This record gives sequence, structure tokens and C-alpha cells, in this order.
Amino acid sequence: MLLLTACGGSSPAANVQRQAGGTVTIDNESGTTWTCDFNPYNGAVNFLSFGTVYEPLVYDNLLTDKKTPYLASAYSWSSDNKTLTVTIRSGVQWSDGQPFSADDVLFSFQLLKKNSSLDLQSAWSLLSDVQEQGTDKIVFTFQSAAVPDFYQVAAQTPIVPKHIWSTLSDPTAAVPKPVGTGPFTMSDCTPQNIKYLKNPTYWQKGLPYIQEVDYPAFTDNDPANQFLAAGNADWGGQFIPNIQTYYLNKDKTHNHYWFPPIDNINIWINQTRPLLSDKAVRQAMAFGIDRSKVSQNGEYGYEPAGNQTGVLTPTFSSWVDQSQLNKYGYKFDPNKAAQVLQAAGYTKGSDGIYADSSGKRLSFDIISISGYTDWTASLQVVAQNLKSMGIEIKEHDLNQNDYANDLYTGNYQLAYGSLSTSPGPSPFYELRNTLDSQTTADIGQIAGGDYERYKNPSVDALFDQFAASTDSAKQHQLMSQIQKSMLEDVPVIPVTEGVAWYEYSTKSIGGWPTQSDPFSAPAPWNLPDWGVTLIHLYKTS
Amino acid sequence: MTYLIRRLEFFAITLWAALTMNFIIPRVMPGSPAEAMLVRFHGRASPQTIRTIEIALGFHTDESLLQQYGEYLWNMAHLNLGTSLTFFPSSVGKAIMVGLPWTVGLVGLSTVIAFVLGTLVGMLSAWRRGGILDGALPTVFIMVSAFPYFWIALVAILIFSFTLNWFPLGFGYDLHQHIELSWDFIGNAIWHGFLPALTIVITSIGGWILTMRNTMITTLAEDYVKMARAKGLSPVRIMFMYAGRNAILPNLTGFAMSLGFVISGAILVEIVFNYPGLGYMLLQAVNNEDFALMQGLFLLITVAVLVAVLLADFLTALLDPRTRAAD
Repeated sequence: MLLLTACGGSSPAANVQRQAGGTVTIDNESGTTWTCDFNPYNGAVNFLSFGTVYEPLVYDNLLTDKKTPYLASAYSWSSDNKTLTVTIRSGVQWSDGQPFSADDVLFSFQLLKKNSSLDLQSAWSLLSDVQEQGTDKIVFTFQSAAVPDFYQVAAQTPIVPKHIWSTLSDPTAAVPKPVGTGPFTMSDCTPQNIKYLKNPTYWQKGLPYIQEVDYPAFTDNDPANQFLAAGNADWGGQFIPNIQTYYLNKDKTHNHYWFPPIDNINIWINQTRPLLSDKAVRQAMAFGIDRSKVSQNGEYGYEPAGNQTGVLTPTFSSWVDQSQLNKYGYKFDPNKAAQVLQAAGYTKGSDGIYADSSGKRLSFDIISISGYTDWTASLQVVAQNLKSMGIEIKEHDLNQNDYANDLYTGNYQLAYGSLSTSPGPSPFYELRNTLDSQTTADIGQIAGGDYERYKNPSVDALFDQFAASTDSAKQHQLMSQIQKSMLEDVPVIPVTEGVAWYEYSTKSIGGWPTQSDPFSAPAPWNLPDWGVTLIHLYKTS
Repeated sequence: MTYLIRRLEFFAITLWAALTMNFIIPRVMPGSPAEAMLVRFHGRASPQTIRTIEIALGFHTDESLLQQYGEYLWNMAHLNLGTSLTFFPSSVGKAIMVGLPWTVGLVGLSTVIAFVLGTLVGMLSAWRRGGILDGALPTVFIMVSAFPYFWIALVAILIFSFTLNWFPLGFGYDLHQHIELSWDFIGNAIWHGFLPALTIVITSIGGWILTMRNTMITTLAEDYVKMARAKGLSPVRIMFMYAGRNAILPNLTGFAMSLGFVISGAILVEIVFNYPGLGYMLLQAVNNEDFALMQGLFLLITVAVLVAVLLADFLTALLDPRTRAAD
């Protein structure tokens, strides 16, 4: 049973007197000019409203899993962890002056049920029912014990006003004038820039300090990086090659960066394909890849090397089962890789590539996305490593749609990339969507997760047990067993760790999240974290 | 007259062929917009949703191809271009209208400037063949046009925007301004467009100089030019009205074509200067398999090129009496 009341934790220290005012300019390559649509249920534009204009019931920090009540003032799980009762915060107003109530929450979830294409988090694949209880409580009934699913339902679903949305004839249509409960309101939008202004009636009294937020549209990385390096923006969210000279040296006292890992970039191994279905081949590949060299050559060292447990470090270090990881090793070791293959009956041919007893060579195609030059550089290292060890891989670049289609439907041998579902605040989310066969589909069907088609009922059961538990010790023990399947079966090979790109300047703005004070996931595209970041910021000069 | 009617007939047939190709190509390409949308939803959309999307995107899979074709022509005639996948739920028309003024303004103006300047320089250097102008300008500009466009643009940004701070770092107008008809805004837009326009002009002018200079040299050797000189006409009159007027004819169609292609934007300019325009939109449409947007843009480009060529034909008829005499 969990009960939280006051709005503490993630709110900035209220006793410190910060002067109000100032403008924060965000610098984040979005790929398009703005369409001025602020529909929080449209996956293409929700990053412009969820967190600043619209808010979730509870804010759950992606990096630390610290939960802060937002539109819910408290919540509690039933004893079987299948029913979540949420108390709705009183005294909250929509930005048009109407009062916020439990009706709005109920309406938002019913809207998602009716329009499945709006349900970006698949909340209704987890929920069976949502009911209002009394005037200020909402009861969520889950299909099964679902403690971690709290994240999708309570922390990742924006709440919209019933009095406006119930009059919309088409909820998928564009929303040019959003009305929300959040710390900012959208004040002006042109194809080039969005201007947000402080919401004067925001329920967290005294917040935000910042008066205005500007969000210019950048179609490409280079101009965005120039804009940031020239000091025109305060907050960056994209990859900058050679960040030391390009950004930090431009203003050594004020310019900073921090790239915390948030997901794994894997080699997905299709378990249904011949040779790749053999565990020995997969283990040999895991031994044969020099992950730190991939990180250095392919990602400038900004994206750290992954590890075979699939648990992100340092973000989730407390979850890593270090003794098991040490036992299996999976440090770069071509000799060990060769031993594994030879022990499994493979012999090296005259071309230096191993083959099985019937002469089938260990030669595979790997799909990647064209234009992702860092992945191509990474895969060159992988291909060199494996070739010198005795496995051949060939890169095939596809456009985004074809890549996604092949990956989801299992039409590939090897694939490079990360999960398409958003990561979560503990290793559970990524590993479940990577390993749990309940998330997969038959070859030819689109799978929501487990793209490699790994099927292990005992591992599936571990995820169910994890989801039914609120006991941290038990969850850690289950996570160790899950890591064992990653180490023993090698369903996928985590090569590097994807990071939240985050650059910031303290020249005129203070209060930024840092490694020592990670009060929010720091990239401007972390949702709804960017809204939390913004209410912490204040003007320094 | 026959000449003009012939041109109009040709225009109509080409337009129909282009429209039909525009209809067929996306339908024979692998993949479908609905599939692309399904991938976007990670397979979570219900069949009902997919149907709605297909219809929104202008694909009625249960209708016969002929029916779809008829509907497509009807929609095109009413400039109803469908819904864009990239800018969903915006319509293609709305998406294009956002970029069009900027592309036409920037690329159109700089194409005209490059053509006019290039033609003048070409004419003058042929007139004084071997002079200082002829020795310097064509050589310099032809060398410059051999440089990759983005390199020149990046150098220009580095010097004039990043270091000297004379011009802004990208965008079409100031971030806090609204698009409106005021001197303030127009001045701001010109200031933002100056560097991109300059780089387009100096990289494209070389071609116009060279072709104009070469045709001008041949024309200057014609008998009627010698005749004009013998009559004692002023050199300026001979240069413009006798030699220049004839020498420009072959260039007109080339100019019309490049005016038509203005609509396709200048992808590199837009990327380097973060300029709002259609070029980058087209690239995105192709990358996202956004058929409706692709169709809309291709249609616009085709029509623009055809109309520009038609106008050039009319202009040729006006300038060159021989085409009229063929009647």
C-alpha cells in the first residue's frame, strides 16, 4: 500500500526566493516546421504539449523512478495489486478558468478506449475498467496484477478537459488552442516558433518562475547546433559531434552537458531463423563484439557500451546482478567466441568464416536505418570484430518505414536498433518488451515488442511475478533471474546505450537537472519530464 | 496562331499524362500509406481506425481503380490534395501553403536575379570579347559554380553570421514576428533571406553567363548585326535590340524550366539555413512514404514547369517573328 499526499519531492524548494521572469529558448531538432497542432494524443506532436500544457496524474521520474503526485493527490493499490484507487487533487483549474475534477480524468480514459489510435501508451491493453468513486476518486481495474503498468496509465497519459473535448467532433483532429492544467499555456504559434507563457493560475503556487518559453523549429541538426553554440538557446536536446570544441569551449564557464542512458541499442537476433536459433552462435557473437570500441568509433563515446544483462548502467546500476555478469563475462574475447563455436560443432572454412556440419556459413544480413550515420559507423566496427572472429555480417540500410515494418513483422535475420516503445523508470519496462513473448506476434504480424521472437515461458512468468509485487527485494531477485536469461540465452545483444541528449547553458538560466540532482529526465523531448524541468528553472541575470 | 494552339494542345496532353503518372506511381510502389500508418501505431490501431485513415489519405481500397482514378481527377480539379501523413492530421494543401511563399520568394527571386545578372554579364563580356570584364567575370563565376553549394553556404554562415554577426543564423524571419504585410516584417524577411539568396545567385550565375556569352558571340557575327553597325546605330541599341534579343532566345526555355523547378525548392539551402520551404518537405515526404504529400508536391512542380514552359513559348513568339511567320 502506497500513500502519498503532499506535493513534495520533485517540486523545487519553495522556500528559496527566486525572481520571476526570464525566457528559456529550447533547441531541439524536430525535423519539421511546426504544424501548430497541440493534440496530446497525436504521437507526432505530443512532445509540444504533454508536460507543459497537459499533465499526468503522477509524475514518475524516468531516471530515478521517484513518484510525485500531480493531478492525483494520492493513490493506493488493492492488496492483490490489480486495482488502483486515485484521489483527484482539489483546487486545480484548467487554463480557461474552469475547475478540474474527477470527471475529466474519467472522460480522458474513456476517450482513449473509444479511439484506440489515440491510446499511445496502450493503456487499454492493460486496463479492464475505469470507474468514478464518489466525487474525487477514480478506480482503475487492471486485467492482471500490474504494479509497473502504473507508469503507462498514471504517469504517461495526459489528462484533457471534458468540457472542451466532449464537444470535439473528431478527437484525432488538430488542436490549435490547447487548454490544460500545466505550468505553461501556448500563447503563439508560427511555423517557425512556438511561444509558451507562464500559467498564472497554476496549481503549484509560485511556479513556474520562468515567464516565457520559446521553441523554434529546426529541420536539421547542423543549424540547430549552430544556434545553440552561438548562445541563442539555453537548452539543447540533440547530438553534437565533438561537443568539447563545438559547444563547451564556446563558453567554458556556462556551457554544460549530461547524457544519461535511457535505453539499449541492440542487435536483435531473429530466433526463428536457421543458425541464429542456435544459442552457441548468439553467445559467440556476444563474445566477439568489442562494445567499447563501437561506443568510441560509432558514437564518439557519448553513448556508453552496453552490457549483456540489458540493464542500463549507470542509470539502473542498483538492479545489475554483478556476480552473474562477472560469471558469464561477455567481455570482448574472440578466442572465447571461437571456443564456443567449435564446442558446438562449427568449423572454420578456408574463407575464415565458420560453417556448421552441413556447410552452412555463418553469414547474416543486418538491417539498419539509412541516414543514421552513427549506426553505420558502429556496425562497421561490429562487422570487423565478427569477421576477424569468423562470422560475416552485411549491413542493409532501409528507410524508416521499411525498417520498422521488417523489424516488427520479423522479416530479418539481424537488426540494429532500440525498442520503439518508450523506455520506463526501471529495467523492467525495456526487458519485458524485449523478452516477454506475450508482447510478440507470429512472423508476418506486427509485434509490439520481443521483435526477436524469443519464447521462454519461465521468463514470461518472471515478468508476471514482478508485475504483481510491490516488494523491492523480491523485484530485485526476480530481475536477477531475468538477467540470467539474457546472459544464458542471448536473445539480443545490447551493444551501446542510447542516451537523453541534453546540453544547457547557465549564462542566464539556473536550476538545471544534473547528474548529482537528477530531478527529471533532462532532454527537452523527455515527456512529461520537460515540464518538470521547466518549473525548476529560474532567471539568474 | 497555329503555333500557339499547338503549344496549348501539347500543354493539355502533358498535364494529363503527368496527372495520370502521379496517380499510378504511388499505387504500384511497394507498401501503402495505411501500412506506414500502422507501423507508426506499432500495430495497435484497430481495423476500424485503419479504414478511417485510408479514407482520410484518399485510398478507397474497396473501390475499383477506375472509380479511384475518376475521384482523383475530380479532387485534383478542386485542388483537394488529401491528408498528409507527415503532418497528420493537416491537409496537404495546408502543409504546402506554409512552405510555398518562402520557396517562391527565396528561390524564385534569386533565380530571376541570377538569370538577369548572368545574361547581362554574358552579353557585355561577349560585346567586349577579350576585355577585362570578359577575362575576369566568367572565369571567376564558373569556378565558383563548381564549388558544392552547401560548402559556400556554410562558409558564408561561418563568416557573416557566426563570426561577424551581420546576418541571422537561419530562419526565414525573426522568431517573434508574425507573417504580415508590414515594412517591418518585409525588411526582416529580406535580411534573413539575403545570405541564402546570395549563395544561390553566386553558385548558379556561372551557367547563365557562359551560355549567354557563347550565343552572343555567334549572333554578333551575323550579317544583320554588321548591317546595323553599317547603318551607324548606337552600340547600346545594337547590343540589346539586335544581338541580345536574338541571343537570349535559346536561354528562355532553360530559364522557364528553372523557374518551374523553383517549386521543388532548394533542399540544401533550406537545410543549411534552416529556411522554411518545400524542398525539405519533399525530402521528408519521400522518406516517410507520404504519398499524398508527394503527389501534391509533384503535381505542383509539374504544373509549374509546364506553365513556365508555355509562357516561355508565348514570349518566344513575341520576341521572334519567325515563329509567328510559320503560320
